Amino acid sequence: MHSSNILWIIIRRMRTPFIVIIVTFAITILGLVIIPGVDNQGHPYHMSFLDAFYFVTFMASTIGFGEIPYEFTYAQRLWVLFSIYIAVIGWFYAIGALVALIQDQKLISELHLAKFSRKIKSLKEPFVIILGYNNTTKELIRHLNEDGKRIVVIDKSQEKIEELELENFMPEVYALKANVNSPDTLKLAGITKRNCKATVTLFDNDFKNTKIALLVRLLNPKMNVIVKSSTKEQSEHLKNLGIKSSVNPFTLVAERFYLALASPNLWNLEMLLFQHKQYVKSYEEFPKGKYIICGYGIMGTVLKDALDKAKMESVFIDLKSSNHKLKKKSAIFGDSQDYKLLLEAGIKNAAAIIAATSDDLINLTILLTAKKINPDIYTIARENTNDDITIFNSAKIDRAYVIEEVVSEHVHRQISQPLADRFLKELYKQTDEWGLELSKTIRTTTGYNPELFEIRVVKSQAFALTDYLKNGGSVNLGLIARDLSDRSKRAKLIFLMVKNRKKEITLLPDDNYEVKVSDRFLIAATKEAKDNFELLVNNLNEFHYAITGKELKNWALKIFEKKES
Amino acid sequence: MNTQKVISGFFIILAMTLNFGFFYGDIDNFAHHSPYELFATIVVNFIATVLKLGDKTQLGSVLLATSLVADIQLIAASIVWGISLYVANNGITDSAQIIVSLSGGALMANIVSVILFMGDTLKSKR
Repeated sequence: MHSSNILWIIIRRMRTPFIVIIVTFAITILGLVIIPGVDNQGHPYHMSFLDAFYFVTFMASTIGFGEIPYEFTYAQRLWVLFSIYIAVIGWFYAIGALVALIQDQKLISELHLAKFSRKIKSLKEPFVIILGYNNTTKELIRHLNEDGKRIVVIDKSQEKIEELELENFMPEVYALKANVNSPDTLKLAGITKRNCKATVTLFDNDFKNTKIALLVRLLNPKMNVIVKSSTKEQSEHLKNLGIKSSVNPFTLVAERFYLALASPNLWNLEMLLFQHKQYVKSYEEFPKGKYIICGYGIMGTVLKDALDKAKMESVFIDLKSSNHKLKKKSAIFGDSQDYKLLLEAGIKNAAAIIAATSDDLINLTILLTAKKINPDIYTIARENTNDDITIFNSAKIDRAYVIEEVVSEHVHRQISQPLADRFLKELYKQTDEWGLELSKTIRTTTGYNPELFEIRVVKSQAFALTDYLKNGGSVNLGLIARDLSDRSKRAKLIFLMVKNRKKEITLLPDDNYEVKVSDRFLIAATKEAKDNFELLVNNLNEFHYAITGKELKNWALKIFEKKES
Repeated sequence: MNTQKVISGFFIILAMTLNFGFFYGDIDNFAHHSPYELFATIVVNFIATVLKLGDKTQLGSVLLATSLVADIQLIAASIVWGISLYVANNGITDSAQIIVSLSGGALMANIVSVILFMGDTLKSKR
């Protein structure tokens, strides 16, 4: 469809130039044939059509091989003089039209489209469609790309697409400049392809997200659509439409906040495992006492709910960033009036203050003002965009919730680490003591920054292990958790969770757990132990060593040994 | 009156008439077949072809195909002419039959083209 469009544009634009060339050539050739000339011997002759066509061809293109076959008479020269003007101008006009055509924006975009559609058609691996290229999806694309996932991005701005192309992703991220809420575009991006695993729409505008999600569901009912929604009502609405994966950053933050208040050990464990930007160096806890929340928006409300649920005292300061800016004509908090506001809320004896407005600068200045009055206060900020992260870091805010990052992390986990996502859900159900116990184990075995990875017992991911199990072998977890340099030592890894073929979950399987084909494991390990483990389950020799303690001998060595004995 | 129809109709029919003019006469008597007429036929056929470009309809595509057939036959005829005159050096009379019959083929294509064009015109309500 699109390649014919390209041909179309060319034909349409080249019609007039073609006719101009045909006509000018015809006139000049005919003239040359009719006008009599004189040959070497002085006999009159007429130029043949072949000679005339040859002459006009090189004359029009200004190559100019000279007067052939014989020197021209003055009558012929006069005609040629006229011919040069019409044929050369006609020729240049045609060339000019062709050059203009190559630079034509419409043609270029059609060519891009054709190239893009070809690439999508030939894409055989599973891929994810991400709509819109902004701070949130940028992070997400980076993470997914690191996992080797194939991604298709659509954005309506050419600038954004160019920015993405400059990022040099490997494997290539396919980008297209197009309108995201048109069915044609979505089809072009491969939404109906079987290997399209998910579509992600994380725009700030809920209405736009819902519209796109609906469109995607209609085009491909089986598609896993991941949609951002900012309110509870919106999430429920989406659920009614049959969309399971809606991402509400505020609920995510509130859940995490409640966890931090109610079971700090689980919270610490979560941060240990999922490596948030400000991961803990040691045990950290939110202070007990009175909380002041500035900003009664969606964020403020959900945080208040979390505080109430955790039976923590809280005071609200009703502050709306847009109103504040209008009234004070500045995006800064902290004049005498604002001081009074904080003092009235009881900042002197408050344990913590949360700045939850939708303006980062106001949030920052609220916290700085609060610190001036009460230097011991614990500061929590809502950070709306990733761009401001360095400012917040240097302001020494105790804890910042970056909305964009919360979303991108969550979506990344859903797409790329389904097991980790499930584990997190299980984690929220556990007791605080369980969290303390596990954090201790993790810290002693893998240290503070464990890597989280998933492995499935199938040939493509664990060749040697699967091979062994399929040939009737049986292995328990203790046997494969070995250090390859010394079998008697246990590798520095912890099996967090296993999901078997029947989708049953076992949390923290012990060393006696018997490994079955197509089990999925979630493992926390040091970088070294991760490489070690991946080698062990894939390499036949290493696997043999791990379970028997002997080196696997190949046939050549076996023959050699037999001869010796 | 549709100017575009006048122009394209003019060239399509002129292509056929010129083609007929060249084709008509004894097949092996070259006095009956003017080289100028062949030249004019080729030029007008080319123009007709270009005018037919850019019509996305089914009929437009078939019209374009008939023109392309005529073009190919006429170009073949002129190439045979040129080769027999300058490369093979055996005189034009030996190839006269080939040239004229090739142009006869082109004439058929041109007639089909004109019939299609007329059909389209008659069908049109405007």
